Amino acid sequence: MSEFKRQHPVAAITSLLGMLRQNIVPIAIFLVVGSRNTGEYFWYFFMFGILSTLVLGIFGWLLFTYRVVGDELQINKGILIRKKLYLTKDRIQVIDITEGILQRMFGLVKVEVKSAGSGTESATISAITREEAEELRSVLRGESNSSTQSIDIEHDFEVETIAKAPSQVWHLPGKDLLLAALTSGNFGVIASILGAVSGQLEEFINVENIEYITRNIPGLDNTSVYFALFLFIFIVSYILSFIGVILKYSDFKIEKNDKELTITSGLLERKHITVPFNRIQAVRFVEGVLRQPFGFGMLYAESAGYEKQNQEKSIVLLPFVKKEYLEEFFFEFLNEYTEPETDVTPPKKALFKYLRRPNYMVLILVSVLWIFWEHGWILYSLVVPFSLLGWIRFKDAELGYTDSVIKLQYRVLAKTTAILRRNRTQVAEMSINPFQKRKDLASVKLTAASGAGGRVFEIYDLEYDDALSVFKWPVEKEEVDEPAN
Amino acid sequence: MIDSPEKRIDKNAITAWRTTGILFGLLWYSIPVIPIIAHINKDAPIWIVILSVIVAITLHIVVGYVFPVVRWKRWKYEVTEKGVDMLHGIIIRKRTMVPVNRIQHVDTKQGPIYRKFGLSALSISTAATTHEIPALDDETASELRTLISELVRQAREDV
Repeated sequence: MSEFKRQHPVAAITSLLGMLRQNIVPIAIFLVVGSRNTGEYFWYFFMFGILSTLVLGIFGWLLFTYRVVGDELQINKGILIRKKLYLTKDRIQVIDITEGILQRMFGLVKVEVKSAGSGTESATISAITREEAEELRSVLRGESNSSTQSIDIEHDFEVETIAKAPSQVWHLPGKDLLLAALTSGNFGVIASILGAVSGQLEEFINVENIEYITRNIPGLDNTSVYFALFLFIFIVSYILSFIGVILKYSDFKIEKNDKELTITSGLLERKHITVPFNRIQAVRFVEGVLRQPFGFGMLYAESAGYEKQNQEKSIVLLPFVKKEYLEEFFFEFLNEYTEPETDVTPPKKALFKYLRRPNYMVLILVSVLWIFWEHGWILYSLVVPFSLLGWIRFKDAELGYTDSVIKLQYRVLAKTTAILRRNRTQVAEMSINPFQKRKDLASVKLTAASGAGGRVFEIYDLEYDDALSVFKWPVEKEEVDEPAN
Repeated sequence: MIDSPEKRIDKNAITAWRTTGILFGLLWYSIPVIPIIAHINKDAPIWIVILSVIVAITLHIVVGYVFPVVRWKRWKYEVTEKGVDMLHGIIIRKRTMVPVNRIQHVDTKQGPIYRKFGLSALSISTAATTHEIPALDDETASELRTLISELVRQAREDV
């Protein structure tokens, strides 16, 4: 692997496909609305867009070369601005291998090598053969220099994993996958659909259309049309989020080897993620509103791999699991993490502050809405559910620590339990506003590295002394009275 | 054992911040622009114009002249072998602790106004965040930079 080489030619069209896929909703709307309004010009425009992306893709492929020298991955790329990207083994955080639909047709995979920190860039090789990818991975992981490895893995990943004999494996059962999909409630999808549609919404939702509908369907008024529309979007996005979860977490598998965790999942697009233990910055268990009643949640790991576009910076370790299983999981897969007893909670005097906090937004928003809607004051009744939310947040807030790990539990909407290791805690912060000062309370905040930045874990309104000892926890061993696990 | 940090930043900070505040504070006078136009073109009452001018002047004085003093009084820091401890915030008091063994790099920087007053800001970066101690005198800033780098090196060797 010492000369520069090109990727498989399929790489030339991956960028086109990626572009199409990312913008699928706008493009679909564009096709429906645009074609009606502008006639054939629109098609010229559209085809021009496709062609230019394709041509750029081909040039990109021609000018993209890579090689491995020693334990360093070197990439030359860029059409106008030439870029030399050199990544050494010890800088690499995460290696992802993805088999996209297109790649699968040609027996290829995509490799993403992510390094730490902002300002660096993840190196993506869009299309190379599986064997090459595996070879690349083992070289960059420094697992073995022998050529036996590459003979072993000629057929499948399965063969390779058996050869390495993972010490632990966890599968997501089919029944749990279904439950996970049903309870995912990924309402972010709603937002993105609404966002994409909103520009075109006036096309469909205008006074004439609504009048037309209400005239033709008896017993409908304006409100029910809006309601039906909302319900429609709600159901569509629920179904989309259901399908999304099924596609993403089908046949989910996490394996433990001596230095790393390997995660494999996906139906149409199989993803293989490799995370070395020493690159895991923190773990976080999220019990979604729909999942908590069943006692289930999702376990994420934070890693400092850099991802520019992807919002989802955390790695999913367990997509759907009972909370009780965590202890066993940590013991078997991540023995640096334990769950400390939580013995610190906000004091009773903080309850009123918890009840008040979610209501500030309500009071401001309602006061503004009142100007536009004469019955706006009715919305003040929202104070009841919001205070209830505050009360649940008060109940859920707790923390505890040992010499090596700290556990912070809090709720925004979903309940989050984060576990940070002492020597992976980047920053501790404590803040006191004038109201808190009067009651001798303080909020505390710990940050772990995640993606290009940090993920913040915050608990509000603790007793000042408790907050202070959490604040000092990352730097002071003497303060801890519990023995290390 | 670290109690509340005690070290103050350089007193020249007040003058430097005031200079910035007074200069950029001129932007406050964009507030009365719309009332004045409305007064000329649409016969908006004169008191609106007067009120907006008063608001602009008050903001200019308070933000440009008073805030720097309060901000200086409320900024304290301490560098120990354990970490960098910073306490600041005019209304909401914020205390930040960056453990030494998490620090990735330290650097100092100064803009034209800081340079005029012999000041530098010290910024401390971790893998996740960047923190800044504003307005130290040049000498202290570079001493601290060297000290922190040295502490980081020692902490690395300890592990």
